[in-house]
Amino acid sequence: MKKVLLVDDSISVARQLEKILVESGDFQVVGQGKNGLDAIKMFQTLHPDIICMDMNMPGMDGITALRTLMSLDKTVKVVMITSLGGVGDKFNEAIKLGAMNVISKPFEAENVLKILRGL
Amino acid sequence: MAVKFFGQFLVEQGAISREALLKAIELQESVNKSIGDIAIEMGLMTQADVEQVNLAQRSEDLRFGDLAVKMGFLTSEALQKALQKQSESHLYIGKAIVMTGGLDAEQIDQYLAAFKADQSLYATDRVLLPSELKHQPLWEMMADLSYKMLTRVARLTFRPVPCEIVKRLEDFHIIAAMDFTGDVRCRYVFSASEEVQTQVAKAILSQEEVSHEPKEVLDDTVMEFINVVCGNIAAKSVQQGIALDILPPELLTSEGGIDIPAGYTGLNFPICLADGKASITIIIYP
Repeated sequence: MKKVLLVDDSISVARQLEKILVESGDFQVVGQGKNGLDAIKMFQTLHPDIICMDMNMPGMDGITALRTLMSLDKTVKVVMITSLGGVGDKFNEAIKLGAMNVISKPFEAENVLKILRGL
Repeated sequence: MAVKFFGQFLVEQGAISREALLKAIELQESVNKSIGDIAIEMGLMTQADVEQVNLAQRSEDLRFGDLAVKMGFLTSEALQKALQKQSESHLYIGKAIVMTGGLDAEQIDQYLAAFKADQSLYATDRVLLPSELKHQPLWEMMADLSYKMLTRVARLTFRPVPCEIVKRLEDFHIIAAMDFTGDVRCRYVFSASEEVQTQVAKAILSQEEVSHEPKEVLDDTVMEFINVVCGNIAAKSVQQGIALDILPPELLTSEGGIDIPAGYTGLNFPICLADGKASITIIIYP
């Protein structure tokens, strides 16, 4: 079972994602962070297989965290889940930095699972 | 179920890999030039002029071309010529994917048709505004996309009331706001009664019952709802040639309403529901 770290400042999104992942039976949610700094700290202690991270968060944003995560470990699999996914520049920046995919909000459960299973 | 651009749609659909898209983006970036570079190529500006405009952009919220005209480096006619050249030589992502071997032309056409059908849900319908305003299509799109998201994401049945200009935000059970920065500055405010908040919470949490949920969670669902709306507005605004970014959502405290400062314009779009009431207000910065 793949270990997933969720990083989103919204409690409701984290809950929704956790429900989708746990009910699928394919993923285990090992931690939940609220900003980019949490993502970096939790990645180093929890060693997740996948990180699902928002872009627009207070404190350290998702793009800054992605840049740091990739400098720590180029093999880390990060999927950005964000309402800004449809903004071309943001999408391109995330993909260039090393994100495996960018999922727009609102998201569909099947789409999230299809993308994460494909990693 | 969101506003997307074509490259993102293709990766999401699994039509091309992330690596294939990256190749196409790299080609696009090597071919597509900025207005500054085009103005230099056409002999309209020098490198030093372009640098001065870039520097001035740090303190003035204007697009490069508009600022170059304002600073006297370009005439309006010269800017139009440069913009036309930029538009004519622009390499679109679909063509770039074909050129880099990601898909063939026939496949691109098929996916483009599917993409257009997917995005037709978000085509902007006309919303009447009370007076002529700068960036009129942007405000219309913001209101229209909000209505569409209220239906599709919050699953609310409602009737929009015609827009009015207001000097004060009315008191509501919950008021959530998000700021837009970039080419245009404004604040997006969503105000809702308790009944509407409950409906939003049910939709966002995908739960039939939310009465046991703590206030923190219920408030968070409203903030997440406007985060989704505003992120999609930012995506759609790019299609209108306006670059917008968003700051994280916040809750506003209101006791008896909130005054809109002098010089700011408050565009209010009341929403009429069978049970409860809500309102979208766009506060435009001077």
